[in-house]
Amino acid sequence: MLFAGLALVVWSGWKNLRERRSAMQEQQNRRVDLIPDSQPAAAGDSSAGESQLRGKPAPAFTLLDLNGKKVSLSDFKGRPLVVNFWGTYCAPCKIEMPWLQEFSLKYAADGFRVVGITYDSEVGRDTIAQTTQRLGVTYPILLSTPKAEKDYLSNTEALPMSFYVDKTGKVVEITAGLGSKDELEAMVKETIAAGGR
Amino acid sequence: MKVTRLIQARRAFVSIAALALAVGATAQPGSAQFGSMDAPAKPRATVVYAAEPQSVPAARRAMLELRFQIVPGFHINSHTPKSELLIPTTLNLEPETGVKPGAPVYPAGEPYSFPSVPGEKLDVYAGNFIIRLPVVATPGDHTMGATLKYQACDNASCYPPKSLPIKIVFIAK
Repeated sequence: MLFAGLALVVWSGWKNLRERRSAMQEQQNRRVDLIPDSQPAAAGDSSAGESQLRGKPAPAFTLLDLNGKKVSLSDFKGRPLVVNFWGTYCAPCKIEMPWLQEFSLKYAADGFRVVGITYDSEVGRDTIAQTTQRLGVTYPILLSTPKAEKDYLSNTEALPMSFYVDKTGKVVEITAGLGSKDELEAMVKETIAAGGR
Repeated sequence: MKVTRLIQARRAFVSIAALALAVGATAQPGSAQFGSMDAPAKPRATVVYAAEPQSVPAARRAMLELRFQIVPGFHINSHTPKSELLIPTTLNLEPETGVKPGAPVYPAGEPYSFPSVPGEKLDVYAGNFIIRLPVVATPGDHTMGATLKYQACDNASCYPPKSLPIKIVFIAK
């Protein structure tokens, strides 16, 4: 009886040890993606899909706005345009968007327009509308689709990402990340000047 | 072809290691930097972490320490970001028999501004941070599952929210 009891204690201890080792091993083996499967496109990253857009026609899109209305790239034909990918969780996006709003008004007479494409459309139209309202944004805000993301962002998840499209429909500049307001305005002016008068 | 990087973010591995259990977070070699501007490295953001159990007194309130590490060059929102539009870091616990967890105690964040907009202050975690977890546990070994939800940025860009599953291994005696 005593022997059986001792054996049970030893067995139970051994089993417990195995389970703990197994849990530890599981931890050690775990590889966790933390930030993005893809990293942001950095300057000169010629492998990034988005950089391949420069000098080429901006990919066509037809997306829904917050009212469910279809908006297409072709709606902006003949106008210098910024296509700005942003997300509701993205702090630098929310710093930049009021600047884009300001420039969309300041350079409206030059035909300049801005369109925002929401990367995290899954948060819902209400949240997106609430966010843009607080930011004072009145330019069109569209809901992204996997195709639009593939065409423009390729494999990056970094936001904000902006595509500067001249009046001929060509992508003349691409920016990833937040810069200064002056830099942004300079690129808006270049985009307006590009493509001839 | 070049993508204009307005503010050059460091391309780094971003990794958070759950040292709660554990202890060694090992980033991939050569992680944090890229090479030349024309040939940047494109590392994958992964992390390996190992587990090492903690020991707490049984049947009375004790505090577990969950240690996390964020790879240099990145930050995540604190549990109390300054804007309600930002996603806070939170720890969600799974039920574990014999363990009564209390509310996680989050550390205070530190102020952070994006370099191009020094006036805009955010509240973030960077480097190492510890979440303390009060528990009352029955004697014995325990493994409690949890998920850290966070949203990371570098010095110019932000990335979608992520979930990091962890296992909190400890002995109560």
